[in-house]
Amino acid sequence: MGDVISVLTDNFDEFLAGFWVTVRLVVFAFAIAMVVGTLVAALRITPNKWLQRLGGVYVETFRNVPLLVLLFISFAGLRRAGVDIGPWTAGIASLGLYTAAYVAEALRSGVFSVSKGQIEAALSLGYTYGQALRRVVFPQAFRTVISPLGSLIIAMIKNSAIIGVSLLALDDLLKTARVVQSRTFETNETFFWAAAGYLLLTVSATFAIRSLEKRYAIHR
Amino acid sequence: MNYVFNPDNWEWLVTGNNARFIFEGFLVNLEIAVIAMVLSLIAGLALALARLSLWKPLSVAAGTWVDVWRNLPLIFIILYLALSVPGSWRNAYEDTIPSWFPEGLQSGRVLAAILGLVLYNSAVLAEIMRAGIQSLDRGQNEAARALGMSYRQSMRMVVLPQGLRRMVPATVSQLITLNKDTTLVSIVAIQEVMRHGRIVTGANFFGGVQAPVLQVFLFVGLLFVLVNLALSRLSRRLEVRERKRTAVGTVKRVRGLEEQAV
Repeated sequence: MGDVISVLTDNFDEFLAGFWVTVRLVVFAFAIAMVVGTLVAALRITPNKWLQRLGGVYVETFRNVPLLVLLFISFAGLRRAGVDIGPWTAGIASLGLYTAAYVAEALRSGVFSVSKGQIEAALSLGYTYGQALRRVVFPQAFRTVISPLGSLIIAMIKNSAIIGVSLLALDDLLKTARVVQSRTFETNETFFWAAAGYLLLTVSATFAIRSLEKRYAIHR
Repeated sequence: MNYVFNPDNWEWLVTGNNARFIFEGFLVNLEIAVIAMVLSLIAGLALALARLSLWKPLSVAAGTWVDVWRNLPLIFIILYLALSVPGSWRNAYEDTIPSWFPEGLQSGRVLAAILGLVLYNSAVLAEIMRAGIQSLDRGQNEAARALGMSYRQSMRMVVLPQGLRRMVPATVSQLITLNKDTTLVSIVAIQEVMRHGRIVTGANFFGGVQAPVLQVFLFVGLLFVLVNLALSRLSRRLEVRERKRTAVGTVKRVRGLEEQAV
């Protein structure tokens, strides 16, 4: 037991720094995922068939490619091609664009969960299509979308662990555990604290989402 | 864009053994995926049933187990197991694995990879299955019990067939995720598609052509997209056929049912 504590206290600054790197990765990647995901979802619900198809291709591509492949393409691939891209940009962009496909799907099914009569009623009241979406459909869709978006944030926290150990220049929580482990050879102890860090993030995200859900619950 | 489609940058694909080498690596991924899928589905069902057990200690234990493993990053689990699985286990694995198994799976390193994939995915699948079973109207179980069926009979003949059928789409998308996640085992030095890709880009490997990283991994990505699209098509077809065969009513909203596999 003494070992467990001392591994944390001896390397506390390193662990804390790694923890913050993970948090920052997730926050930035989530911002990208939301922006791109919303755009793609918008493409998929436009009346234009070609735009719909474009959105569909985005979703099917990024949902079916392993994140690790995206990381290789965006970091080593672009670098070899002469693009000067750093590990942060590559990591955040890959994780963000990957998750954007799932965000788009979540938003789209949220919009479809609003009954068709709602938009028809709005249009017949003289709203334009854009106004109807913005004022009638989106506020209702938002509620049903909280829970799937929440699962996506949790998935992002977990997926962010891939970035550090594959793009060697980024010391996130898992990479830090790996570094401390190779120095101290205390495998169980270092990974115990890294697990605690990840569980702290995923479990607190779970509770935050549940309380949000409760606040915006639909009473029907 | 010019760089991406420049024929010079694709020459590696038709030179020497490069393409074949990549395919061989990809095959290892598929083999690992199939084994992990089968084991995860079995373990997942067992965990789901344990979690729904009427005996409190068992259901609490299973619930904690599931919550811990599905909330940890998969790559974390694989890395940890690779560092901590004792050598004697690896040797035992190498001794017991049948010789007709694919060559890529003979190494003891695969044990940590498969264990990690199964620990994580069985927990996720257990949660999906639990949600499917709980989304079923309680009356189904009550009616079965009222007809004199035992708990087991009711589970096996009434609750499970209906509950699990509802979870087919969520299960398939988790299996697709599992398929993608097999690339993570490259971190424990298993010679699969990512490693093979890196070898091809490393030096003038086959046929004296150095492959550009971007193109190699675009190609690898394409392989995954094709296989995963085929998987999801297949499941959609199954779903349509099932829906024709059995009229499925509306599904109650249960936590986890809408959960997305990423």
